[in-house]
Amino acid sequence: MAAPLPETPLLSVQDLSIRFRTDEGLITAVDGVSFDIAPGEVLGLVGESGSGKSVTAKALMRLNPGNTVYAPESRIVLHDEGRAIDVLALKRARDMMVVRGGRVSMIFQEPMASFAPALTIGQQMVEQLVLHTDMTKRQARAHAIDMLARVGISDPAARIDQYAFEFSGGMRQRAMIAMALSTRPRLLIADEPTTALDVTIQAQVLDLMRGLVAEYGMAILFITHDLGVIAQMADRVAVMYLGRVAETGAVRKVIRTPAHPYTAGLLNALPNVNDPDAPLTPVAGDIPSPLDRPTGCVFHTRCPRMIPGTCDAAVPSAHVVAPGHVAACFALAGVPA
Amino acid sequence: MILFLRFAVMRAAMALITLLTVSFIVFSLMALVPANCAERYLAYKTTQGEQITIADIRAEERRLGLDKPYVERWVRWVGNVFLEGDFGESCILRVRVSQLVGDKFLLSLGICAAALIFAYAIALPVGIFSATASSPVLNNVLRLVSYLGLALPNFLLALIIMLISTLVFGDSMTGLFSREMRDAPWSWDKAMDFLSRAWLPVFILGWSATAFAMQSVRALVSDEYGKLYVMAARARGIHGARLLWRYPARHALGPIINSLGFDLNRVFNQLPIVAVILVLTESGALLLEALARSNDQQLAGAIIFLLTGSIVALNFLTDILLALADPRVRRSVMGG
Repeated sequence: MAAPLPETPLLSVQDLSIRFRTDEGLITAVDGVSFDIAPGEVLGLVGESGSGKSVTAKALMRLNPGNTVYAPESRIVLHDEGRAIDVLALKRARDMMVVRGGRVSMIFQEPMASFAPALTIGQQMVEQLVLHTDMTKRQARAHAIDMLARVGISDPAARIDQYAFEFSGGMRQRAMIAMALSTRPRLLIADEPTTALDVTIQAQVLDLMRGLVAEYGMAILFITHDLGVIAQMADRVAVMYLGRVAETGAVRKVIRTPAHPYTAGLLNALPNVNDPDAPLTPVAGDIPSPLDRPTGCVFHTRCPRMIPGTCDAAVPSAHVVAPGHVAACFALAGVPA
Repeated sequence: MILFLRFAVMRAAMALITLLTVSFIVFSLMALVPANCAERYLAYKTTQGEQITIADIRAEERRLGLDKPYVERWVRWVGNVFLEGDFGESCILRVRVSQLVGDKFLLSLGICAAALIFAYAIALPVGIFSATASSPVLNNVLRLVSYLGLALPNFLLALIIMLISTLVFGDSMTGLFSREMRDAPWSWDKAMDFLSRAWLPVFILGWSATAFAMQSVRALVSDEYGKLYVMAARARGIHGARLLWRYPARHALGPIINSLGFDLNRVFNQLPIVAVILVLTESGALLLEALARSNDQQLAGAIIFLLTGSIVALNFLTDILLALADPRVRRSVMGG
């Protein structure tokens, strides 16, 4: 259901299903998700909390906890210089290093909490570089200072010996970006990287990321619940709901002509700065509990276009609504993908 | 560096003020005990068949300086303690308290310190390991062991070991020295003899301390383990022992250092009971004797003061250690 790509994708996710073993039984977090990311492409992953977007992202680095069960047919393949790495088949932590800080890096929502409080920024950056490259400590330190300078941290040679609590919120996220990019990964996973920041700082950090992406030519999986941020950052977008991809397509297409009722609902829920008096129309109802997943189309309990007898009985397959624009909905008149 | 020295001096001054306050409280408690030292000693004399008059008591009070005002007596007591390490004379035994307590207090402190070291030598690795181990069997075994440690009273454990030891070796393992060595002067053989026996009180005291420390180490490390910075470190490819020691274990260190002072206090409080059962001649037993049997307020006060002094000193040390271990504390005391 992904858009046709001109070359081998950098990352290919197929039929990814993730369940968690709990005392209440198996809980489904992600159900049959597929997408590709081309080299240098920015893919936005949008959804409410509980939609499975963070779990999907963590699966790419195998960071989900020990009670995670991946379905046998699930595949995550990273293409790296002619090698195809089957991520879910990696067994040892040593082998996972290639997707953990090597060819793939991740930045998290809380920049303060993602730095170890009793280690300096420099200690953490140097540690990663020594682990992944053949740099000496001295070279790694010089490179780390250079990276801090690139993300716009002033006096980086002094700042590198400071702790995260001595940095401001925006600076911490800049340092996090510097650390993530220091090993020149091919893919950067950004999990709500600006959600915890002030709006003005958020714009600066987004600008910085856009610039660095162009410079380094790496791909980004950008996770957010904010469609406004996606519109600025991403080339393509995948909208997730309750563990499934509802709609994928080029960002402008999806935002101007949403095909899936859920995407349309999300767009309607955005406040309009030009018309502050316009009433907000939230998506009706609440996201169902993962313990009680709806049958059929998972969105049918909240869908304004729900077709009784169909939507609650069968899972909709993907329909191509336009070239590169795909949605999974029975209410669409499209060509089956 | 200068800022750090200032911090250390400030803390030392605070410790000193605490000690002075404690000394005042201890001294007041000593004075609150009905009948003073002179009356008690002479009352003891009458039981030995001597005739005592009120004039004798007054004379004895004057000799001991008990006719002086309260505050003056406290200042003199504190002055002697701090400047000369002299706690005065025991009320009943009429020998210098320092001579009575002397190495006994060091012995007790040594046993407590050894018990604590024993406890943390086991609790740190096991606690850290069990915080990360996902095996439910292992976790339940460890939990059972530590509950046993918490629930089984020390004196019962001591009695059980004595019983087994008597049945198996024909020696109850009581006392800190064997019969032949008890009154011998210190020598290599005596030291070895001491070590061959001291492990028992160390083990018994360390047993519950281990269980306690293991629970708190486990809780602290597993708390750190769930934090985002650990996942972020893992996302950078750090794994195995390096991840464990440099991230969750390293960051749980602060609260563990913090609890050392309390642990010493708890172990010391348990020492007298164990000492009575094992017939140890150490200062905890001496304190119990002084408090409960002979009502020797000079002696009891001295031991309580020494004990509090050790705890205040240890807390001073842990404050300094904590400042060194935690950059947030270090920066706040040493500046940028």
